[in-house]
Amino acid sequence: MNTRSTIVPVMCALLMLTACAKPPTEQIAAAEKAVTEAQQSGASTYVADEYAKIEGTLAALKKEVSDQDGKLALFRDYGKVEQLATTAKSEAERVKAEATKKKEEAKAAALQAQQVAQEAVTATLALVAKAPTGKDRAALESIKADADALKASLNQVQMAIDTADYPTAQTKAKAIHEKSQAVSLEIETALAKIGKGKPSAAKKK
Amino acid sequence: MALAGSLTGCVEAVPQDVIEAVENIDRDLMELRAAEFSPNDYAQFAHQWMALKSRVQADEDLIRWPWEPNDLEIALRRLQEEGSHTVVRLTKERESLRHSAESKIAQVEDRFRVMTLQVSAIDSRLVLGQKPVETDLLMKQAHAFYEQGQYDRSLDASDRAAQNLATQAALLSNELGRYANRDRISRWQRMAQDTIAWSRIHRTSAIVVSKADRVLTLYRNGQKILSYPVRLGFNGIREKRYQGDGATPEGRYQISSKRGQGQTQFYRALVLDYPNEEDRRRYRLERKTGQIPAARTIGGQIEIHGVENELMAQTLGCVMLDNPQMALLFDRVDKGTPVTIVGALHEQNSVAQTLAMLGVQREET
Repeated sequence: MNTRSTIVPVMCALLMLTACAKPPTEQIAAAEKAVTEAQQSGASTYVADEYAKIEGTLAALKKEVSDQDGKLALFRDYGKVEQLATTAKSEAERVKAEATKKKEEAKAAALQAQQVAQEAVTATLALVAKAPTGKDRAALESIKADADALKASLNQVQMAIDTADYPTAQTKAKAIHEKSQAVSLEIETALAKIGKGKPSAAKKK
Repeated sequence: MALAGSLTGCVEAVPQDVIEAVENIDRDLMELRAAEFSPNDYAQFAHQWMALKSRVQADEDLIRWPWEPNDLEIALRRLQEEGSHTVVRLTKERESLRHSAESKIAQVEDRFRVMTLQVSAIDSRLVLGQKPVETDLLMKQAHAFYEQGQYDRSLDASDRAAQNLATQAALLSNELGRYANRDRISRWQRMAQDTIAWSRIHRTSAIVVSKADRVLTLYRNGQKILSYPVRLGFNGIREKRYQGDGATPEGRYQISSKRGQGQTQFYRALVLDYPNEEDRRRYRLERKTGQIPAARTIGGQIEIHGVENELMAQTLGCVMLDNPQMALLFDRVDKGTPVTIVGALHEQNSVAQTLAMLGVQREET
């Protein structure tokens, strides 16, 4: 067997193996999908640094695809692309799970704070209703205005929850709770002060 | 591999200390929460770091000749240097932001405190409706965000509280601006002078009440006889418009009847002839233009009276005196005595001064 007849089939076999190297589009698409899902789960808010790194991995992956695409077909190697796609996908899935967990925790904390605030405002409004009219009217009217404002502010908590802005919802609810307790204390103090007086007759003014 | 390297003169692709240095910078940036408050800076670092990290992983089994240039190590060292600068810059920026948030909280809280005191001093809390609570809640949020290290959110809440305070100042100016209006004050001064002149001409008593000063003055033969502090309705600083608004009317009235002990729940009372024709005309106009709800009547039973009991600290739209002073006044006036109630008698009245001060604050906001 001469040398020439040996080299030609080997070259052909090599060409067949390498000339057809293509980017792992399915793996890339899966990685991109996982990153998008991580972003949609709130990763850019709840695990911002980790999400930024995944985006970095995805960018490195795309650059590697571009670098390989720019080479002669014979020299293309998408092995690193496959590795990066696998890493990006698995990291995106992990970050998505972590973001979902943190988001749920934030939501639960906001809902709990909302409930506590609602209960406090309800108690304040009940105290306002108990306050006798005609007694220390200026203070009572001010307190009523405060209680009405607290009740209206509960809507803002709900709006923040509806838009998944849980940090705002939680801080607002806590502020309402705190203020509501202060107003209730003010009413109780006023009631203790004036409670012994007999109610005034209704007057036209 | 290290042994082989030392024996053969070869070196690792990238020294481990460079990688550890970049990892430390990443940790510093995460501790600074760079991804949250400076996402572009962190994204730039993270993109470079991830790109280089993938190269490090791909090259980790490589060894090079000592004289071979190592692009990866050079790139990592450059990232380390850039990252160090970013850490220093973001640390400064974050400290600056923290300081801004802290200053803003102190500034807005100070304004809120001053406004609360001023509004209380001129009994105008009810003019502001729900606004004071909204400001209070925003400031509590600003504090909470500050404690959480979310300085940008803290600043945002403080800014909104400052805007809310500016709205309150505008509301007060709109509602009580007549106390700072020179023409209006001149008209009130003329009303008071006419009443005093009437007292002098008819050689009888007349009463002038200044709402801004919360003072009732009794004149006899045009001469001031006595002057007492008074309390007004729970919304007394406003101009009375309809029943139940808690406002004290402004205008020229007369005592229509005197109610002694046993005839009133308020120790003694001087009933005024509110509403007068001017009150009725204004009421009809405001009803017609929809400024007063159809269900609201004009009200009545406006009196100068004493205190019902020690626990009653306010009145519903009347003018209230302490009982000893009410007793003295009661004996010095008759049915038909003119009573003129005005907003203010001088330009530097307490309401005008408050509005001027809050106006300056509003401009600073």
